[in-house]
Amino acid sequence: MNERQSMETDIVCVGFGPAMGGFLTTLAKGIVNEDGSAVMESTVVPGLPPQVICYERADDIGVGVSGVVSKARGIRESLPELDPACIPLCTPITEEKVVYLVDPHGASRRSLPLKAADAALKLLGGKFPGCRYKDMAVELPYIPPFLEKHGGLTFSLGQFNQWVGNTVMATGAAQIWPASPVAAPIIEHRKVVGVRLADQGVDKAGKPDAAYMPGMDVRARLTVVGDGPVGPVGRAIDEARGLPMGHHQRDYAVGMKFVVDLPGNCPWKVGTVIHTIGYPEPEIFGFLYVLPGHVASLGIFVPSWFDNPVRTAYRYLQHWMQHPYLWKYLKGGTIRSFGAKTLQESGKNGEPYLVGDGYARIGEGSGTTNVLTGSGVDEAWTSGVQLGQAVVELLEKGLPFTSENLEKTYVARRRASWVEAEAKIAARSREAFASGFIPGIIGMALTGLTKGALCWPADSEPVHKRIPSIEEYYHGRISCEEITRIRQEATAKGLALHDALMDKVGWPEIEYDGKLLISHQDALLLGGKVQAAPGYADHVTFECPDTCRACAEKTCIEACSGQAITTNPDDGVPLFDREKCVHCGACLWNCSKPSKADPERTNVRFAAGAGGLHSAEN
Amino acid sequence: MFHIVVCGGIVPDPLQTLEPVKGPAGWGLKNELMLPSILDPWASHALYEAAHLAKAVPGSKVWLVSLGPKAKLQQVMMTVAQKAPFELVVADGPAGGFVDSFEVAEALFAAISGIAGLDASKLLLFGGWQSASRGSGSTLQILGEKLGITDQFQGVDKLTVGADGSLEVMERIEGGAYQISTCTGAPAALGWATGELPEPPNNPQVGMANMRLVMPALQKAKPAAVNAAAIDYQSVTLPAQKRETRVVKDTPVDVIAQEIIDWLAS
Amino acid sequence: METILFCAPVAADGTLAKASLEALSAAKTLAEGLGATLAVGLFGADVAPAAAAVAACGPVFAVTGEAFAVARYATDAAALEALAKAASATIIIAADDSRVSRALPGVAARLNGRIDAHVVAIAAKDGKPLVTRGYYRQRMTAELTRAARPWCVTVSGGCYAAYDGAPGQASLTDVSVPVTEAMTRTTIKAVVAPSADEQTIRPDAKMLFVAGAGWTKKQGDGAAHVPEAGQLILGFLGKAKASLGSSKSLVDMGGEGESVLPFLTHLHQVGQTGATPRHQKGLATCCHGEEPHVVGWRFITERRAVNLDAACGWAQGKADVLYVADAFEVMRRVNELLG
Ligand SMILES: Cc1cc2nc3c(=O)[nH]c(=O)nc-3n(C[C@H](O)[C@H](O)[C@H](O)COP(=O)(O)OP(=O)(O)OC[C@H]3O[C@@H](n4cnc5c(N)ncnc54)[C@H](O)[C@@H]3O)c2cc1C
Ligand SMILES: Cc1cc2nc3c(=O)[nH]c(=O)nc-3n(C[C@H](O)[C@H](O)[C@H](O)COP(=O)(O)OP(=O)(O)OC[C@H]3O[C@@H](n4cnc5c(N)ncnc54)[C@H](O)[C@@H]3O)c2cc1C
Ligand code: SF4
Ligand code: SF4
Repeated sequence: MNERQSMETDIVCVGFGPAMGGFLTTLAKGIVNEDGSAVMESTVVPGLPPQVICYERADDIGVGVSGVVSKARGIRESLPELDPACIPLCTPITEEKVVYLVDPHGASRRSLPLKAADAALKLLGGKFPGCRYKDMAVELPYIPPFLEKHGGLTFSLGQFNQWVGNTVMATGAAQIWPASPVAAPIIEHRKVVGVRLADQGVDKAGKPDAAYMPGMDVRARLTVVGDGPVGPVGRAIDEARGLPMGHHQRDYAVGMKFVVDLPGNCPWKVGTVIHTIGYPEPEIFGFLYVLPGHVASLGIFVPSWFDNPVRTAYRYLQHWMQHPYLWKYLKGGTIRSFGAKTLQESGKNGEPYLVGDGYARIGEGSGTTNVLTGSGVDEAWTSGVQLGQAVVELLEKGLPFTSENLEKTYVARRRASWVEAEAKIAARSREAFASGFIPGIIGMALTGLTKGALCWPADSEPVHKRIPSIEEYYHGRISCEEITRIRQEATAKGLALHDALMDKVGWPEIEYDGKLLISHQDALLLGGKVQAAPGYADHVTFECPDTCRACAEKTCIEACSGQAITTNPDDGVPLFDREKCVHCGACLWNCSKPSKADPERTNVRFAAGAGGLHSAEN
Repeated sequence: MFHIVVCGGIVPDPLQTLEPVKGPAGWGLKNELMLPSILDPWASHALYEAAHLAKAVPGSKVWLVSLGPKAKLQQVMMTVAQKAPFELVVADGPAGGFVDSFEVAEALFAAISGIAGLDASKLLLFGGWQSASRGSGSTLQILGEKLGITDQFQGVDKLTVGADGSLEVMERIEGGAYQISTCTGAPAALGWATGELPEPPNNPQVGMANMRLVMPALQKAKPAAVNAAAIDYQSVTLPAQKRETRVVKDTPVDVIAQEIIDWLAS
Repeated sequence: METILFCAPVAADGTLAKASLEALSAAKTLAEGLGATLAVGLFGADVAPAAAAVAACGPVFAVTGEAFAVARYATDAAALEALAKAASATIIIAADDSRVSRALPGVAARLNGRIDAHVVAIAAKDGKPLVTRGYYRQRMTAELTRAARPWCVTVSGGCYAAYDGAPGQASLTDVSVPVTEAMTRTTIKAVVAPSADEQTIRPDAKMLFVAGAGWTKKQGDGAAHVPEAGQLILGFLGKAKASLGSSKSLVDMGGEGESVLPFLTHLHQVGQTGATPRHQKGLATCCHGEEPHVVGWRFITERRAVNLDAACGWAQGKADVLYVADAFEVMRRVNELLG
């Protein structure tokens, strides 16, 4: 089996998220009739409809991680008969709240005005006319229209993807293969001619080992790239082509979540949607959606503009859950599921070339996610639908998938749609967060309420530049000597620094209850069911070992969602254990040092890998 | 030349949190349809062994017969189909462990009886020696009897085929030992333990080839009649997960060591 | 009224295996609880000594002959089938050893009966037999009964005390089973026992000793003491005849293919991505007790741990006893005491 296999197909697709769901759903309707017969013929297997193969990295098509609350405009348009009751964990939105959380411990790093606001609320909270202050939280009196999702749905992305995938496969129009990471696009003469799957039967370093099987080459007339926020295929194309002038991808967040069986006494109504701001750090937003079956999907987003070098989503998530406003009704609940994933938040600012000869980009990796409205699924889905319509049109006309033809059909549809219009409004809405939380919130409101006419301008920077030294971040709170001591002690024990540092500045210790408050390792297993088949190379590597050796922040370790990157007591280069990795992609942008090859990138290389979460509820 | 029929059910992925619930159709698992599933691990080994054998003995053929809900099987097949070449035969019914093994064997028997061109004299009936769901280790024997197979082996880790078509089988017995037997040839039933082959890599081309038959098999799957009332369950419970941990602190090493010694001897 | 038949193969030396004697206790308990008749069915080359040993339990039916001496499905099933018929049994109880587990399900099928295997308890409740067994790899337990008869039940080892009633003169009924050619297509060639050389994985040991990564980490004096750790671990294994397990962190250490403790391999790893061994007792040392590791302890009944950290995972309801102490000191002393 040592020879590289090669195969021809009509359309090869990378990644099965909502974007690909939208694409394949639309394509299926256009290329096969209801009785399964071909509308048009394949060029590789004459007589059959065009052959469409989709490769998904994860071990199942239902392990995506997301919220989700969505207006579901695009989804409903392409699936008019959609009945939420047919999809487990899916329900219409019944109530929406935005809540400001006061810091009950005084441990978060707040600016003076924010501290003053907290103090005033604690002191006078309930007495302000019209102010609903309770449980150290204020429910905002109204939800700005750009955030509102009324009439929409809240659901589990995993269950939704599974349902869409099964429906598509049942039409016979496409095959969706899980556990099949795509290593790279095949680019010949500036044309994408297909993809190469990842090698199997290799060691950590990728060298042939027992049962070596080189990844197959899949050559296709059209390659559809929908590999999400950190997809290696999309990034490889970007590396080869560069981004359009003035575009850069500098805004990310990692979303970490739990799905929780709520305790019996919890009064939250199914369909309730709560968004929180202000706590555990002003930069960290939270969400909680109540799904059918007394279940909540909840979590936080830790963004790249949170200038903390020890940004640990897991510990912050535990503090967030325990905020009195939430804990009141969460306490006694049990974790069903855990997951984490990066959001590519650059949106329009980071939009890559959407098409080229032989390929098209859809979904979050193509800049669809809208940070102003906090929406990514429907936008991703809709971009897929638009490409689906375009491809059917080109197939019907017998036209080749050239850059020009895709531009005229797909890009034109996208540019004329609400996805684009709203992306433009959102483009500069978050800029001000670069200057701080309050400017950020004001800037976002300004942009949202004026539909993009105004913004609070601020310069963006590559992600690594946003990470100060630990000493700088804790200046005035922990002395340099103390940090040095903590660092030495933790390194000797092979531990990350965030626990010791957070304890030091007043974050209370987490008291495990074995149900909702469990150790990070336990969450990986009890909630994430993380596993990885042997025989694949490490997909996280460190470009320049000496850069790591000289690095004092080691943000990659602090931020790792799976404790898969750990302190190496014997060397400055962190260790990576692929069996623990949840493929969140956070390491890609949680590194404080630039790549020597490209100052926009960091020292972490994130490639296609197999395994990860085995939970279909996130 | 062998006709190898591998029986394999689907079970929840081993790390899932399982909780029994009683529904209208009897006992099952909470959120059963939401739990990611896999082909039963021991049956998977049987499948890899079958594929390996079929490759070594020209003219042989492998069928994978599975009782399970169609939609779930479709999903699981997207992974299994990449591992080894086979033709799928589906009995559309419950996959859970609470179904009686006799009922399962009858459903599988009905499905196998419908396989066109299956030659009973060349039949090797493969399966896992236990399922990860029922854990009973009885389905294969019952099915074997129904198929008239009286040479049966369980806990098989190795099968060697002689030039004359005879079978040498290595079965797990007590104390980590193996019993080695020979059988004059097919038909025979073999319940596999882990076998000797590692899990094959995902071969996309094998997957594509299988898929040509998997989809039609799923489409024409017949509902399987299983009697959920065959077993009268009085209760199904989860064992208490949490122990009362006694934490012994600030105690001299000698005392601790002695306690451990006493415990060892008890 | 139920007629309960206890069945067992008889070993070459004419005795019954311990597992069978345990199953006999289960059968007796049930028969007494139900007020049912108990009979014994034996098969083997020569059953006389065994028949005498269990004579007090009830009438004995026996299938004898050389062909029934070996553990072979076809002859075993034929013998069991004939015994069940001869005794007109409605409930058939046997041990779940490899031989009976292989044959009895097929016998149930021949009798058009049903089977429940690997039962851990069997009792009479409201005049009905009730069995208890695990589902989903012992992750849940069910109590069940059935209307169908004959009902075959195999009982797991270690759940009942072995029967040790006084021997007597058995009332023996010979059941003849003609041995056909079809029954002897299979020939037993050999039994291969595992090599007796220095094995650290001993599935039959009473005790599992788990070594965690702490053994190789820097200790209070700022240095690691790996050679001593190795001696202490091996010393204990030898003295206590325990089986060795390890955490993933420990076997992963030391890089590709080789471990810091030379006798450790990935086969020792206990846990989610490792083994799930079965032992009566387990002692974890220098291991934090994280869930991915502890899931591998599912079949370890009694659990104790030695760890420096009072807040380690074992303290959270995962062990029966946690000794907060230095494992080096504790094991040094334990080894001394073991002599
Ligand atoms: C915690 C969290 C909460 C969120 N909440 C909301 C919300 O409430 N509402 C909302 O609208 N949006 C929300 N989002 C955003 C939303 O989930 C994304 O915008 C959306 O999933 C993007 O869809 P996509 O199809 O472009 O990419 P993805 O969903 O990321 O799908 C890409 C797929 O490609 C696969 N893949 C990647 N690389 C490869 C490779 N090399 N080979 C093969 N396959 C590959 C991945 O495994 C993945 O399945 C949230 C996101 C997170 C993380
Ligand atoms: C998907 C996944 C799969 C996994 N699979 C497995 C698996 O199969 N098996 C497994 O084991 N792990 C597995 N893990 C890893 C697991 O979560 C833990 O990381 C691992 O078990 C930790 O090993 P440890 O307790 O030996 O090491 P550590 O966590 O490093 O703990 C060492 C312990 O030793 C103690 N110690 C140090 N010196 C002494 C002394 N002198 N006396 C007493 N105590 C001392 C310390 O207090 C500490 O508690 C998996 C993790 C994931 C995410
Ligand atoms: S990858 Fe290297 S350079 Fe980047 S944060 Fe980690 S240790 Fe530092
Ligand atoms: S190593 Fe894996 S789990 Fe950790 S941050 Fe990177 S992708 Fe996420």
